Amino acid sequence: MIKTIKAFLFAMVSVAFVTTAYADFTFVSWGGAYTMSQQKGYIDTWGPVKNGSTKVSVENYNGGLGEIKAQVEAGNVNWDVVDILPVDAINGCDEGLLEVIDTSGWEKAPDGTSFPDSIVENGTGTSGPISECAAPQIFWTYVIIFDPKAFPGKKPSRMKDFFDVKKFPGKRGVHTWPQAVLEMALVADGVKPAKVNSVLQGDGGTDRAFAKLEDLKGHVVHWSAGAQPLELVSSGEVVMSIVYNGRAGAAILSEGASFDYVWEGQVLDADWVAIPKGSKNKAEAIEFLKHATSCASQAEQAKYITYMPMRPCGTDIIAKNEPWFHTGINVLPHMPDTEKRLKKSVFTDPVWWADNNAELKEQWSAWMAGNK
Amino acid sequence: MSEILTTDGIPLKVSLKRAERINKIRALVLVLPLTLFIIITFVIPILSMLLRSVDDKQINTVFPKTFKIYEQWDQKELPSEEMYATLFNEVMTADKRQIGKASTRMNYSKSGWKSLIKKSKRKFKKIKEGPYKEKMIAIDKRWANMEFWQAMGQMVNPYTAGYYLNAVDLKYDAKRKIVQQPKKRRIYNHTWIKTFKVSILVTLFCLILGYPIAHLLATLPLKYSNLLMIFVLLPFWTSLLVRTVSWIIILMKKGVFNSILVWAGIIADENRMQLIYNETGTLIAMTQILLPFMVLPLYSVMKTIPPSYMRAALNLGAQPMHAFYRIYMPQTVPGISAGGLLVFVLAIGYFITPELVGGSDGLLIGHFIAFHLKTTLNWGLCAALGAILLAVMLVLYWVYNKVVGIENIKLG
Repeated sequence: MIKTIKAFLFAMVSVAFVTTAYADFTFVSWGGAYTMSQQKGYIDTWGPVKNGSTKVSVENYNGGLGEIKAQVEAGNVNWDVVDILPVDAINGCDEGLLEVIDTSGWEKAPDGTSFPDSIVENGTGTSGPISECAAPQIFWTYVIIFDPKAFPGKKPSRMKDFFDVKKFPGKRGVHTWPQAVLEMALVADGVKPAKVNSVLQGDGGTDRAFAKLEDLKGHVVHWSAGAQPLELVSSGEVVMSIVYNGRAGAAILSEGASFDYVWEGQVLDADWVAIPKGSKNKAEAIEFLKHATSCASQAEQAKYITYMPMRPCGTDIIAKNEPWFHTGINVLPHMPDTEKRLKKSVFTDPVWWADNNAELKEQWSAWMAGNK
Repeated sequence: MSEILTTDGIPLKVSLKRAERINKIRALVLVLPLTLFIIITFVIPILSMLLRSVDDKQINTVFPKTFKIYEQWDQKELPSEEMYATLFNEVMTADKRQIGKASTRMNYSKSGWKSLIKKSKRKFKKIKEGPYKEKMIAIDKRWANMEFWQAMGQMVNPYTAGYYLNAVDLKYDAKRKIVQQPKKRRIYNHTWIKTFKVSILVTLFCLILGYPIAHLLATLPLKYSNLLMIFVLLPFWTSLLVRTVSWIIILMKKGVFNSILVWAGIIADENRMQLIYNETGTLIAMTQILLPFMVLPLYSVMKTIPPSYMRAALNLGAQPMHAFYRIYMPQTVPGISAGGLLVFVLAIGYFITPELVGGSDGLLIGHFIAFHLKTTLNWGLCAALGAILLAVMLVLYWVYNKVVGIENIKLG
């Protein structure tokens, strides 16, 4: 009975909303330079948008499944396509918050590999979409940047240097959640990047990472928004910082900022696109995703941001047509996953993080609280 | 005595009642939209939030048979073959989405359940017959880990206090006794204390800064006070984020404030003060942002105090301080209470400003509510944290009512 009443009330509320704010199609992403790259890379170039038959309205959000869960539970889904993290793609699919997408018949790569197989790596050591609800977007990384002016002599070049406050004195910028930091700590502690996940997930792995973090105690400024670390480094508040590589790339390529990278020990993560369960424009959303994940669109997006296409066929187009960035600069040197860099990178394991996120976040926050 | 009749022969009493009833219905119809609005947007969400904080049914309905057998388990050694077989069958037959939700819930009591269930469900298809215990352990050795089975004990009842325990760094152990979280995971009590400390300090600073401003506003001639009022309101109308970011620019190491001090020779260049990305920054930024909420109620109360009272007190020989303390201040208590309560309530739930300027001190309770709401989807814990916040506010309100009296609050 209560359920019926609830459903009735929600229905009433949703009717009120639908009649007031109706948009053709809603695409939700993280905002800033990244959303701009999506807008120019594949929203503006989509047929129905170009010929004016459909309008795509773009909204920003802060990640997570909270809003999607709320919409699905209320039975009023306003979002049609959402850009999400691997963890959320897995959890959302498991909990029935996302639509299952069958990508098997989508655009093949030029060499004939099927669509799912043209995603060579998804972070779990296998090929294909990370969950049956996700379509490919981009790879991005947590990478270290520094201002070369801050180090007149020897410059930091390895993850070890980030954790060595004696050799390279000064504060470090670190985000307020544990992902990637733990992996980096293990690299700095001498674990080979390829072995990091097995060490971290093995007995005493997280304790070892936290022990290494003690080296940074008292030398950390914590940031919570993606634009902050760039500001921290360029204002001299910190000498090095962990950043999203695309933010740094955009600052260097578009605004001429003078940052240098430390690629060793960078932690790769990904973004996927998905359709919330019960989207009113599901069929349209799928057509849109087919376009957005094509080799051409994947390459086109990299004109505006230094995030790597998830399908190598996109990267091939870029390589053949350098300088590819919209300002006329070569973009591949700023991409995180050139072959050489990938060998020294860690792929964050979304399945393991989905298991341990809450526990490690608590432990990490306790570490932060004692980090004065 | 005969009844008084109206002209059309109906008793006056009846006629009056009828007229009143129509008025009552009319009044009811007028407030009905508002009542409905409040029920839908306020009462139902709060009740459903309170319900979520104790509701543990999402798992009991998925594995009912397993939990029945679980009650008989002695917890000393690994469960019987029967329990393995039952769980196996229930994992295989239950709806995929239900399994997803259940495993998310199970993961709250022991990290790892989520992937264990998911991975196993995929591999279970190969198991055609028993013995299930051996085969399940062969698939994943975690099935032989007592901790996982013991963690199930926390989820046996359809209602749980577990989320509330989690919210204050406690938990159930294998025997369902309440114990402390392991030391490295304790964070919520620390966060609660920090949240209240910051809120109280911000309220105090707002009062200290706001009181003289409000007094000045109330006593200055109109043309000056209007100008001053604009200075109070202008930041109030500016975007919260803009104000927060301006504080970063002013307070950072190479920022405006430190540079002025260095330029004036007060501090040395290498001794620039750390004023942001810590508690100092949080307090400064939040105080400035919440200041108007203190000034405005104070001002509106002070405006109503006739200046002649103070003059009379001085005239009768009171020292200025004494006159202020005995005559003026007591009359401003309604404004102090209103402003204090407003600022405190806003500060306690503050989220974005501490997050941006607080550094490692910036994670207040709002941060954790947002984290669990969006990332771990542990809405039960969010609800528990929210309910505690609500309870604290109600207690404060009750104390306030006892001490000051709620009729003494005045917003203007």
